[in-house]
Amino acid sequence: MNLGKDSLRLRLIAVAALWCAVALVAAWALLSALFADQVRLGFDENLSAQLAGVIAASDWNDGAAPSLRRPLPDPRFQQPLSGWYWQISSAGEPVLRSRSLWDGALPRPGEGHSDSGTYFRDITGPNGVLMRLAARELTITDIKGADIEGLFLFQLAGDPSAGASDIARFDRLLAVALVVLGLGLIGAMVLQVQIGLRPLARIGRALADIRAGRADRLPGTFPSEIQPLADEIDNLLGHQAAVINRARTHAGDLAHALKTPLAVLANEAANEANNDDGALAAQVRHSVVEMQRQVDRHLARSRTAAAAGVLGARCEIAPVLSDLARVLNLLHRDSGVTIFVDDGTPLVFAGEREDLQEMLGNLMENACQWAASVVRVGLARRADQIILSIDDDGPGLPPERRGEVLARGVRLDESKPGTGLGLAIVADMADLYGGSLSLHEAEIGGLSARLELPLAEAI
Amino acid sequence: MRLLVVEDDKDLAGQLRRALSDAGYAVDLAGDGEEGHFLGDTEPYDAVILDLGLPILDGITVLRRWREDGRNMPVLILTARDRWSDKVSGIDAGADDYLGKPFHMEEMLARMRALLRRTAGHASNEIQCGALRLDIAAAKVSLDGRLVNLTALEFRLLSYLMHHQGKVISRTELVEHLYEQDFDKDSNTIEVFIGRLRRKTKADLIETVRGLGYRLTVADEV
Repeated sequence: MNLGKDSLRLRLIAVAALWCAVALVAAWALLSALFADQVRLGFDENLSAQLAGVIAASDWNDGAAPSLRRPLPDPRFQQPLSGWYWQISSAGEPVLRSRSLWDGALPRPGEGHSDSGTYFRDITGPNGVLMRLAARELTITDIKGADIEGLFLFQLAGDPSAGASDIARFDRLLAVALVVLGLGLIGAMVLQVQIGLRPLARIGRALADIRAGRADRLPGTFPSEIQPLADEIDNLLGHQAAVINRARTHAGDLAHALKTPLAVLANEAANEANNDDGALAAQVRHSVVEMQRQVDRHLARSRTAAAAGVLGARCEIAPVLSDLARVLNLLHRDSGVTIFVDDGTPLVFAGEREDLQEMLGNLMENACQWAASVVRVGLARRADQIILSIDDDGPGLPPERRGEVLARGVRLDESKPGTGLGLAIVADMADLYGGSLSLHEAEIGGLSARLELPLAEAI
Repeated sequence: MRLLVVEDDKDLAGQLRRALSDAGYAVDLAGDGEEGHFLGDTEPYDAVILDLGLPILDGITVLRRWREDGRNMPVLILTARDRWSDKVSGIDAGADDYLGKPFHMEEMLARMRALLRRTAGHASNEIQCGALRLDIAAAKVSLDGRLVNLTALEFRLLSYLMHHQGKVISRTELVEHLYEQDFDKDSNTIEVFIGRLRRKTKADLIETVRGLGYRLTVADEV
């Protein structure tokens, strides 16, 4: 997985992760606030219930001062400075308070309220800790045995720190859960991006195949968002192939169109040469030969350059060898040369049939022209190379002249027909296919041309 | 010997006609595939020079049709399309030889001579009949080593007879193989030419087979 700076995958994952983090932090804050609020409400309700208990247990039978008819069930009100206190006051002075308050008092909670109900305040308790206070004012009338009628303030305070630790624990658990959720989401996101971008990787591989000549079109169908891109690429490839083909055809047509006028010019020059001393004719003749060399060379190059490595071309070698042997045996029937080819080895050349025919045809014809009686064509395989050897029993070629023949297409014997380009064209073509042509001494006495070409596969 | 040249380039066709006529052949020209096919189908040519890139009907199709219809005259393909794939398909369509453009006229003539003598069953460029000797390459006839002076038509007639020596050849066949297409053919002139040839060569070499035609033979193979 490539995550470079400009990776689409990185962008998608980074944005998704950022968004995910923001959302999870916000969710944590919201849930934490809601939970804290809920805990406080619960605590307030508890205070309110306890306060109701104090009100219900209060009694004025002993005269003006109230007392509790029964002790409150919660033992923390008996325990000094336990953090849980209650107090009943009248006209601002405490008249009864829990034992836990000891000699302290609960502060008066701001301005007075009517009987409207219980209200809550945050206060600082007797030992300086923050406390929650519930208060209610009640007007007490009709107290038996005492001529009392007055406004009493009932207060009850509790320590909310137990709730705070609940909240902290909840926050911690929530954070862990959300982090796990976040990691899960990011993992899912990565998976989603991987799956989502897979067709793009497929296009990349398909294009690499096309460039390597293993395919000529993008295979199969793609998701509807990418299909237009794939279609356009296909169209582009088709267009390119058509342009190359057209250029090839034009080059071929031009070359062929030139050949007939060249033939006319050469023949006229030959006639002139017979008629007078013919310096001009000789020059024309020389130029015609040169033009023909150029035409042949560039025609062969343009065709091969366009063909080599473009499509997954392949061609079986043995049939080409036997075709050429048949044709050459016919064309050279008067020369007394016999061609033997090894067409029993089933090997496939990774290239175009026409190019293979051109290379082998030129080499075999050259061998026929020099051979005394026999031309032998051998076919073998070495690793992923095809090795073709074209041997003749002619005079051969001294080693120092072999390079010359391959490099410039020099014709060593002007008496033999041909433009002398045969071997140079073959060397060019073999080179374009990533192969090579080399000249050696043949076992049967003459020249041995060794042509190495890329192997497609054994049948 | 009468040849057909099927070539759409007028300049080249003219050069071929001139060179072939100079070498002693009667030459007909066709400028497109259809005309070429028709002539080859109806006239008894001794050989054909055929271009491949022809208007109306391409050379390979022309050749294939001739062969399908049993026309077996030797055909030399002369074309700019000289890749080996073209050569293989040309030979497979029934061509006897293949020459790429541009070419040397001498080479074309040599190939043509080889085609004609091979068709007639001769192995070398010299055909001999008794004291009479035909040098195909030089287009010359000698008798007992002395050059015989012949006109173009006399040479053509003698050359045809020598290529087919031992066979009886009718006057009509001689006319068909000696004259070009648009020539006013008169079989009576053959008799005149035979007479002249008899005077110039040994009289007993050309035998008249009554009612059938002529035969070149060594009369007394003693």
